[in-house]
Amino acid sequence: MPPAMRRQLLTGCALLGIALAGCSSPASREAMVPSDLVVSQQHRHSLRVQTSGGAETSGLDSSNIADTDLKAAIEDAVVRSRLFQSIVQGNDGDYELHVQVVSLRRPLIGGTLNVELETGWSLVRRADRAVLLRKSIHSNGTASMAEAFTFVTRLRLAVETAARDSIRQGLLAIAELNL
Amino acid sequence: MNKTIKLLALLGLVATLTTGCAVNRATGSVDPSTNLAALKTMYVKKIPDDDNTHALIADKLRSKGITVTTGVEPAPGGVDAVVTYIDKWMWDITMYMLELTITFRDPKTDFPMATGNSFHTSLTRLSPKEMVDEVIDNIYKGAK
Repeated sequence: MPPAMRRQLLTGCALLGIALAGCSSPASREAMVPSDLVVSQQHRHSLRVQTSGGAETSGLDSSNIADTDLKAAIEDAVVRSRLFQSIVQGNDGDYELHVQVVSLRRPLIGGTLNVELETGWSLVRRADRAVLLRKSIHSNGTASMAEAFTFVTRLRLAVETAARDSIRQGLLAIAELNL
Repeated sequence: MNKTIKLLALLGLVATLTTGCAVNRATGSVDPSTNLAALKTMYVKKIPDDDNTHALIADKLRSKGITVTTGVEPAPGGVDAVVTYIDKWMWDITMYMLELTITFRDPKTDFPMATGNSFHTSLTRLSPKEMVDEVIDNIYKGAK
C-alpha cells in the first residue's frame, strides 16, 4: 500500500474511532416529560414523588435514567397536566407516589436501537397508608440512524422515549383512580 | 504531518479501548408499600436457557431464612413472591456476567416489589455468585 494511502486510512480510522466512541449522556429530564398529556380527571390533593432504582451515567457507561431526573420529569408532568393540585417535597403531601426503575434493556450495538423499560408505580394515601395503586409498566423506545448518527445519542433518545411513555402510562393510570 | 497522524491514531485507539474500561454500578430498592420481612416463601422462575444463576439466587435466599423453590413453570400458589432475573453475559478472554437484575414480584399482579441491579465490566468482573450476593444484599439494604 502506498504511504500516502496508508496515512489517509490511518487518519480515517482514528477519526472514526473518536467519533463513534463518544461519551454517554444521561436521559434528560426535560425530554422525559410527556408534552401532550391529557388526563381524564384532576385530583384536588397534594402529591409527593419518590424514585429509586435509577443510576447515574458515567462517560463510559450506557445512557441511564437518574433518580433525580426521573423524579423531576414526573413532577413536571404532574404540574403540566394538573393531575394533582400541588407537588410537595419532604414528608408532607396527601399522597405518595413511588416509581421504581426495575429494568432498562439497552442494545450494545445496532442501527435502529430499541430500548425496553420496566417501572413499578405505587400510590399510597398518607393518612391511613392505604395502597391505591400497584402497577408494573412496560414501555419501549426506538431511535433510528435518521434521528442521530452517533450511537450514544441514538441510545439516549431511545431511553428518553421509553421513559416518556412510561410516565405517560403511569400518570394516566393514576388519573383513572377515584381518590 | 507524520506526528499528527500518529497522535490521531493514538487518540482513536485510546478512545476505542477505554470504552471497555471499568464501570461499576450496584443498586437495590424496595417499594414502600412492600414489607420485605413478610416475604418468607419465594419461587425463583428459571430462565429456560440458564444453567446455574437461578440456583445461586435460590441458595442466597435460603441463606436468609427464606423457603425457596425453583422452576420454569408458572409459580405455584401460596408463595409470597416470585423472583425473576435478567443476566447479561459478555466475552473478554473468557465469558463473564456483565449485568444482573433480580426482581421480587407480587405473585398475583406481577408488581415489582423490590429490585436490585449490579453491573461490572471486564476489568472489575465478579463471579456469578458474587454478583448474586451483591444484588440480593443490596435489595435487603434498600428495605426500610
